[in-house]
Amino acid sequence: MDEQTRRARFEEIAPALIEPLRRFLARRTDAATAEDVLAETLLVCWRRVAELPERPLPWAYAVARNCLANAERGARRQQRLAARIAVVDPPAAVQPGPGERDGAGRDAEVVEALGRLREQDAELLRLWAWEQLGAAEIATVLDLTPNAAGIRLHRARQRLREELRKSDLPAGHDGVQEGRAP
Amino acid sequence: MTDDDGRHDDRHDDRHDDGRHDDGGDAALRGRLRAADPALSLPPADPGRVARLLEETMDTDRSPAAPATAEEPPTRETGTRGRNPLTWLVAAAAVLLIAGAAVFGLVGRDHTTTTTTTGHPPVAGGPGAGTGSTGTTGTVTELNAPAASAYHARCMVPTAAALAQQTLAFDGTVRSITDHVVTLVPTHFYAGDATDVVEVAAPHGSLDPLLTAIRFQQGQRYLVSASNGTVTICGFSAPWSRGLATLYTRAFEGK
Repeated sequence: MDEQTRRARFEEIAPALIEPLRRFLARRTDAATAEDVLAETLLVCWRRVAELPERPLPWAYAVARNCLANAERGARRQQRLAARIAVVDPPAAVQPGPGERDGAGRDAEVVEALGRLREQDAELLRLWAWEQLGAAEIATVLDLTPNAAGIRLHRARQRLREELRKSDLPAGHDGVQEGRAP
Repeated sequence: MTDDDGRHDDRHDDRHDDGRHDDGGDAALRGRLRAADPALSLPPADPGRVARLLEETMDTDRSPAAPATAEEPPTRETGTRGRNPLTWLVAAAAVLLIAGAAVFGLVGRDHTTTTTTTGHPPVAGGPGAGTGSTGTTGTVTELNAPAASAYHARCMVPTAAALAQQTLAFDGTVRSITDHVVTLVPTHFYAGDATDVVEVAAPHGSLDPLLTAIRFQQGQRYLVSASNGTVTICGFSAPWSRGLATLYTRAFEGK
């Protein structure tokens, strides 16, 4: 593939990748790292433009995941605190947008329930609900077989439901109770 | 494939996994999760910025010889714009660690890297003259390419402080590139003992990653640094540029 063709192909594909990748990263890390990793991800796509599959987005998510993991490994090595801030302090959860189900008003419950899941389960659910991928595409991102992705996704959803049921159980769980009055 | 907020629409795929089970429940669960999406309020990227980002991406890596297998994070020239200071700080330490690990790897494998032509150790900053007479070619400093793992490391933009840690640094021109050795003719040594020639070899593997990382080309001028006999990549060694030359000067002034 000559330089001209590469450029043309990249210019055709990449613009549609940027927005979903930005969101993918914004969901998983802090703004500065997201910007960094976005640039790195695009660079990998550019270098490997000849290998881009027909539906490049799941593939690009997989690259972004690797780049992000690298970034966070590097950060951890140097300064655990910095890494923790990046991981523990993702962008604030926000109000449901127009047309979104408003989840009985309390997103925090879902976020907490998601946080209690194993990381693999949580990531499957994020890819499913936030990136809106199907099992076959999740399989591409996580390097699984589509069948395995489907099964794991199903189980992850069940686990999330269980977690949500648990948090529903203590009726009137309004946050103050945690102090356990004497 | 995307709507205005960048979501990508492939609900059809859900049929594989959703259709069989409690469809309504899954949809509700997904809706609930979606409402908790931290990127929900993220405004779409400014189109101007997107265009710039694409342009920068393509410009960072013009070389058609760039490896098509580059899953690895980019070298410093390729993806380093607009980073915040913390990133650099973090990256700086990573680089030092990686350099250390690479050196360790080399040393650990117990390869003696004696200078065949001079009988001196290859580290030009070492004790003594570090040079010897070799008749026709004059004195030679022998350096090694970094271990393979170094090429997969995340990089930083070199700073004077990091550069000052290098035991050897010089400004020179590539005289020849063979399968195994890059030969440079130094014009100025910032650090280390001056020799007539510097040879960079890859005793533990292919020279290709090094050639790609530094873009060595015959007849071109480079700034090269090394510590413990191993060339430092990640932009510490790179084609000559005014900016990098200034950095070299700052790093080694007074030495």
